[in-house]
Amino acid sequence: MWEKILTGFGYWDIYSWLIFLAIAGFFTLWLRNSGRQDYKEGTYQDEIYFSGNDVPEDGADISVPADSAYWGFIKFFTPYYDFMAKFHNGLVQDYVGYFILFIAVLTTLIVFV
Amino acid sequence: MTVGNLPFLVVGILFLIGLLAVLREKNMIKIAIGITIIESAVNMLLIVLGYRLGGDVPVHFLKGEVDAMVLPTPQALTLTAIVIALATSALMLSVIMLLYKHYGTLNVDEIRRLRG
Amino acid sequence: MNWQAHLPALLLAVPLLGAFAAPVFNLGGKTLRNVWFITVSTCVFLVAFALWRDVSVNGILVYVMGGEDFALSLPSGMKLPVRIILEIDAMSAFMALAGSITSMAGAWFSVSYMDRFSGMSRFVSLYFLLTLGMLGMMVTGDLFNFFVFLEIASVASYGLVAFWRDKPQAIEASFKYMVMSQIAAMLVLIAVGFLYGRYNLLNMGALGSVMQMGLVEKVSLALLFSALALKCGSFPMYLWIPDAYAEAPASVSCLLVTVSQASLYGLFRVAFSIYGVSLTNSVVAWAIIILGLISMLVAVSMAVVQHEVKRLMAYHAISQTGYMMLGVGIGLLVLGNPEALAEYGFTALKGGVFHIFNHAMYKGLLFLTAGTLFYMTGSRDLNKMGGLIRRSPGTAFMFVIAAAAIAGLPPMNGYTSKLLIYQSSFAVHPFITVVALVTSVLTLASFVKVFQTAFLGPEHKALVNARKVPSTMMVGMGILTVAILLLTFLPGSALSNLVEPAAKALVDQAGYIGAIMGGAF
Repeated sequence: MWEKILTGFGYWDIYSWLIFLAIAGFFTLWLRNSGRQDYKEGTYQDEIYFSGNDVPEDGADISVPADSAYWGFIKFFTPYYDFMAKFHNGLVQDYVGYFILFIAVLTTLIVFV
Repeated sequence: MTVGNLPFLVVGILFLIGLLAVLREKNMIKIAIGITIIESAVNMLLIVLGYRLGGDVPVHFLKGEVDAMVLPTPQALTLTAIVIALATSALMLSVIMLLYKHYGTLNVDEIRRLRG
Repeated sequence: MNWQAHLPALLLAVPLLGAFAAPVFNLGGKTLRNVWFITVSTCVFLVAFALWRDVSVNGILVYVMGGEDFALSLPSGMKLPVRIILEIDAMSAFMALAGSITSMAGAWFSVSYMDRFSGMSRFVSLYFLLTLGMLGMMVTGDLFNFFVFLEIASVASYGLVAFWRDKPQAIEASFKYMVMSQIAAMLVLIAVGFLYGRYNLLNMGALGSVMQMGLVEKVSLALLFSALALKCGSFPMYLWIPDAYAEAPASVSCLLVTVSQASLYGLFRVAFSIYGVSLTNSVVAWAIIILGLISMLVAVSMAVVQHEVKRLMAYHAISQTGYMMLGVGIGLLVLGNPEALAEYGFTALKGGVFHIFNHAMYKGLLFLTAGTLFYMTGSRDLNKMGGLIRRSPGTAFMFVIAAAAIAGLPPMNGYTSKLLIYQSSFAVHPFITVVALVTSVLTLASFVKVFQTAFLGPEHKALVNARKVPSTMMVGMGILTVAILLLTFLPGSALSNLVEPAAKALVDQAGYIGAIMGGAF
């Protein structure tokens, strides 16, 4: 079962990787289990830290919504995303127009080059 | 009298008329009509490709020995393509009816809830 | 009579029977219809598997519809193949296997996913017609027959995308898909007509043997390329995919992925087996490579910002199709150069072809998990979901496997095919590898976002009444998970038994032609 996949420039061997994963997993679990075991469940010691405020009851108030994930990345690329929003504007005639333009460009390239 | 390339020219013009209808018209039913014009143009192309000058009906037992017969295969291809075009036109028109019921308008610029 | 010789026809006949008998079985009640649905889907998978075994052992299979002998492609005294001929080489059998697995998984999934909806007998018929169209596109050896199966698959999918007809967005998505796809199908028919008018042949093998590049053949190639690239979702024409995949029911999205791969297979069949050696300059190959690169990057950058889960996954489907086009485009680029082909071209081809199978498995599984999220919470918006790992740990586990596979994390099967593509594209130009790696990183980013917002996190009060996931839905997802895990843990045998014959069959134009023409060309 020790199959190596040769790519011509290197190789990929899954079982070596799984052994590495097992060793790394062993170390991770050992570090995780070396915490303190003497906490009391259900009291304030079990709650998350919410900057000193009261933890809200509804989980929906704590969680970060999906729209605000990667906001820095999106803010940096705002010009690009504005251009993309204009490209994906939802009008089917524009979509067919891009298709016809592509056919024209490709036919010119294939016939004359 | 030779026919030359006139049938192919007609096919090309018909295809361009249909394409212009799809690209420029705002009424969805006119877009559907444009697509049926495109389909008719392509079916006409298939028929024209099978024509042989002076050719006769390609049924051997009707005509006996003749010099030239029109090719029968494009006629079979066109029949299939006509049936397919019929099915898709019917489906497109029923989808347009449902869109009118949901959106209240036949203007394709207002059917834009899905974007981005 | 040896029924194994009729396997190609059975592959097409069984879904056809399933489609037309479904309303009859529906008269006997819901359970009978569901049993019929699952039985026929499993039969299709078994036939496709038997066909793949047969092709691995016996080479290219040729099946003539309606001739005096079903294996005689050149009937007595004729020099040209005159009937509709199914020609199944290793690449077709490979694609048919992938398609039948996703069809079976989607069928198991829909049994309980769609149980609240009426009109299910028509859903089953349309689903089998879509499967038939897809399988027909993959096994046929005749260009007009390819067009007919393309239209069967397209019309069935127009109906299935618009299946939830009380939602305006679904009808809108179906309309936009219909307009673009009909124009593409008409262009395919024009190209077929041109080639027929030139050579009086419709058979792909026969066309490949007499093809000589001229103006008409170049125009036909451009039209076929553009139309099939629209159907599979490459750069300027992918705009129908986010709408259609998002609004279709989840099992239909799972199957539509493989239907788009069938169009991609059609593009490769045209470029490799019909045009093959006539492609003297590398315009088509570079066009495929550049379109693949742009699709990859643009689609994944759009996917990162989506907040609707199925639209996000549809953008990833476009991006992964870019990987396949990149891999096979590099193979096409060096097709005429034997030493480059042996050095990196064949590896790229293997990577691209393997990626097709992997993608069908993990993208299908991702769409099914998105369907499960919709079933549990009633919404597809990621802003409204959270903490669902406590409700359904099985779904979360399968999602993690599929997300790790699509992001190309080792040891999954996605990593193996992407590694082959990265290392061979580096030999062409390093910039290609950079684009592919950046795409991989952004893919991982968007799936981490989906996993964190949908599954992890605190529990929402509104989701306390989330529905329990039925067992047939878990079976459907489990089929694809088992396939992914098999490909992950047995990469060497997957590559040598599944992928390498398929890649060799793509490169071998002479073998494809010889199976039809009998060596007399």
